[in-house]
Amino acid sequence: MGHWGWLIAIYLFLGGLGAGAYLTSFAAEKGFLGKKTNLNQVGYYVSAPIVAFGALLLITDLGQGLKKPWLIINMFLNFSSVMTWGIYILTAFIFVAFIKAFFVWKKRQAPDVLSYIGAILALATAAYTGMLLAVIEGVPFWNSYLMPVVFVVSALSTGLSLTSLLAHFFEKQHQVHEERVSQVHLWLVSMEILSITAFFALIYSGSQGAVAKLSANLLLTESLALPFWLLLILAGLVGPLVFYVQQSRCQKKAPLAMKEQNLSENADMPAGVNQGASAKSQNALLLCDGAVMVGGLTLRCLIVFAALPVWNGLLS
Amino acid sequence: MSHNKRVELSRRSVIKGGLLLGTVAAIGLMPIKLLRAEETVKENAEPKTKKQIGFSYDEAKCIKCENCVRICQETYKWETDAPWRKLLRNEKGDALSMSCNHCADPACAKVCPVNAYTKRESDGVVIQDSSKCVGCGYCLYACPYHAPHIQKKSGAVSKCHFCYKLQDSGSGPMCVGVCPTQALTMGDMKELSQKGNLNYKGLPNPKITNPSMIAIPK
Repeated sequence: MGHWGWLIAIYLFLGGLGAGAYLTSFAAEKGFLGKKTNLNQVGYYVSAPIVAFGALLLITDLGQGLKKPWLIINMFLNFSSVMTWGIYILTAFIFVAFIKAFFVWKKRQAPDVLSYIGAILALATAAYTGMLLAVIEGVPFWNSYLMPVVFVVSALSTGLSLTSLLAHFFEKQHQVHEERVSQVHLWLVSMEILSITAFFALIYSGSQGAVAKLSANLLLTESLALPFWLLLILAGLVGPLVFYVQQSRCQKKAPLAMKEQNLSENADMPAGVNQGASAKSQNALLLCDGAVMVGGLTLRCLIVFAALPVWNGLLS
Repeated sequence: MSHNKRVELSRRSVIKGGLLLGTVAAIGLMPIKLLRAEETVKENAEPKTKKQIGFSYDEAKCIKCENCVRICQETYKWETDAPWRKLLRNEKGDALSMSCNHCADPACAKVCPVNAYTKRESDGVVIQDSSKCVGCGYCLYACPYHAPHIQKKSGAVSKCHFCYKLQDSGSGPMCVGVCPTQALTMGDMKELSQKGNLNYKGLPNPKITNPSMIAIPK
């Protein structure tokens, strides 16, 4: 319907993903993701390249700016435009995240200020991807103050997933599976479900007008319903939710089981069983992380594609 | 025993989840009234420029000759699928000749990252400089009236500028000059807004951008 398509949707997704990856490693570094963690590096490495690649996609989507690239520098000019804010935020974030990654790579302690500025810029990047759409009154479906909330929560969730996936493949020397990570992810996925529910509740309350409802209908029941329910809700949210709930239950039981073991003094039996089970749950965990990211990308695409203008350009 | 415990736990979490959902939905709904109040304040705002000129369309006088559209296209050579002016029509025989409405609060100018839009202090005309445009398409979403369009050949946005060069030399725009029945006219918005507004046959709420145009239905 509108002018923007896949490139912009992927750009919005990558902006959130990179920001989320940085924040994951930041949280891990500060000890929020368990005492022993392997998530404290990979997120830093990938965040700047991901956001930079996203920005490149934004540039490829330009019209005249692609033919006359010197015009792009002017995108720093209009301080009332959210897109201009975004250009500043993205530039600053890419710069800071790159320096932070350099410190991590050299195994040197980066100044605390740098890490914190990076974290603030990461949050700003994630929020900006939502704000870009939320300020457009011409598209009632976007024009919701819950839009940045949904995008930030999704950014954190996809960033955690990406960092966990990469840590699994590239940080093989110290594999740790902290239950804290699953708990945090359970919390994030729940928050995302809640914020998306609130987002639709706000639209169906009628506060954003009839056109916003038409856009929402596209997602819930009409042409975009299949990817919405299948990829976003089922695969991206409910599936992972069920899995994380189960995991946190198993982990609650585990200490109990160990005590029982000690009592019966039957230590050699469960070891093999546990290994098999943990490999299985490890695979499920990876699948879950993949699904969360697919859900995140689907969310951005659906929101961009469901944009109906406040007026369809016809006389009634 | 442990089975019972599990059921209880899940029931409790279902209730918790439900309560949380309800609260979040309520939070989602609450601030609407506040926002609406803000909007009504905005509506009565003072004009943003020294003077604001605008278009007036009188449907009863329009013979749908489309001269206004033709002269505009011939003068400014826009691509036909990226028009500066359109004559909108429906099956009931209603019509409206519309271009950019040179809004008092132009959404295009607000969102354009490269400052390609300027609103003239002298007459409130919104002029878009195509040579600055990067073609990001943000203004296409922002404008509720579909006034800016991307010209395919150049990849840059362009739109009606109220023939500002003609204005500066003391005459009116081409479209107004060529209208045989004076259905399309121009004037000072101080006077035009006494006669009507743009709350017209399905058009968006004028409060969004305060358009400088009025349409008088048959």
